Amino acid sequence: MTSQAGKPGIVVLGSPRSGTTLLRRVLDAHPNIACPPETYLLSAAARFLHHDRFASGLRVGVIDGLEFAGFAEAELLERLRGFVFGFARDHASRSQKPRWAHKTAFDAFHLPAIRQLCEGHVRFVCVQRHGLDVAVSLVELVDKTGGYVSELHAYVQRYPEPLEALARAWIDSASAVADLIDECPDAISLRYEELVAEPEASLRRVFEALDEPWDPAVLARALGGSGEVGFGDWKTYGRAKIDAASVGRWRALPESSQRRLAELCNPTLERLGYPAVVFDGDDDPEQARQRYRLGLLLNRMKQGG
Amino acid sequence: MALQRQALVDFLNGKTRADLSAIGDETALFSTGMVDSFTMVDLLMWLQQQTGARLGPEDISVENFDSVGRILAFAAARSKS
Repeated sequence: MTSQAGKPGIVVLGSPRSGTTLLRRVLDAHPNIACPPETYLLSAAARFLHHDRFASGLRVGVIDGLEFAGFAEAELLERLRGFVFGFARDHASRSQKPRWAHKTAFDAFHLPAIRQLCEGHVRFVCVQRHGLDVAVSLVELVDKTGGYVSELHAYVQRYPEPLEALARAWIDSASAVADLIDECPDAISLRYEELVAEPEASLRRVFEALDEPWDPAVLARALGGSGEVGFGDWKTYGRAKIDAASVGRWRALPESSQRRLAELCNPTLERLGYPAVVFDGDDDPEQARQRYRLGLLLNRMKQGG
Repeated sequence: MALQRQALVDFLNGKTRADLSAIGDETALFSTGMVDSFTMVDLLMWLQQQTGARLGPEDISVENFDSVGRILAFAAARSKS
């Protein structure tokens, strides 16, 4: 399942809004790598592999169904890999580049099946970003798109507060990516905050790990706006340079929201190497009432009362 | 202890993610939208902690909170009482 150059394909993973589109554009700007906008190939393959499990432990899905029909799991995965990777290979070939890469933001919610399909056959580049910034950015995404993709809708159905729901989506997807980093020797880890603070140093390390030469013009090409357009984070297409303006935006949230998100996200933040978000004292029910009272008085002030 | 101007500006900088270091004492904050409602509530909660005074309905007014100078004057008055 290697590319024409004999090197494995590349799969970019990370929670949505973690800089994966930026990384995609950089990879695609490398002379040896073709990484199209989001194709949804791997999440579609993951849905194909989906199974349910009965109380008896019996899995019900395509893998076990085909096993009964005489097709081994390994054969099914090999055929599916050929089908899915074939599109990526053909795209690279049409782009006249020797190596393919794939990135779709919501793949991180389908990691068990994607790992089942890809592990041992690709290199993974995993981007992690501070969870509170991801939650803030996901709220913006939902506001702009006016709806929830199915992966996020599942969280909103369970948790009525959007910020909490989206923070929980980050916890699950970032944890799945962290598991991959811990368990798979073919996974390269990259932190969004480092990527935007020191783009060249971060990307040199990524390309070195991918066994690709550093190209000094890769950033300029990536940000020059000449690549393909398609699905992905629209905001990056308007960016002519990488900067750290998106780091720490969660600090503008109301303190009560920060406290709630910190309570949820701190264990995962610390697992990923971020400092826990801490506050002096508890925001107890009395403080919550005071906050509410002051908010009402403020509204009255706005109306000139 | 009286609220220091720098502590107030640092608080607002942190909440608004803007650099308000050069802001004038009379620059309008809330009525111009420079500081939003969420930040104002956080500011009022913080002022209660800093001054030890509970803010009542009569306190919450543009006259008391719409600029750095007015906030400092209000905090100084409440800290003394």
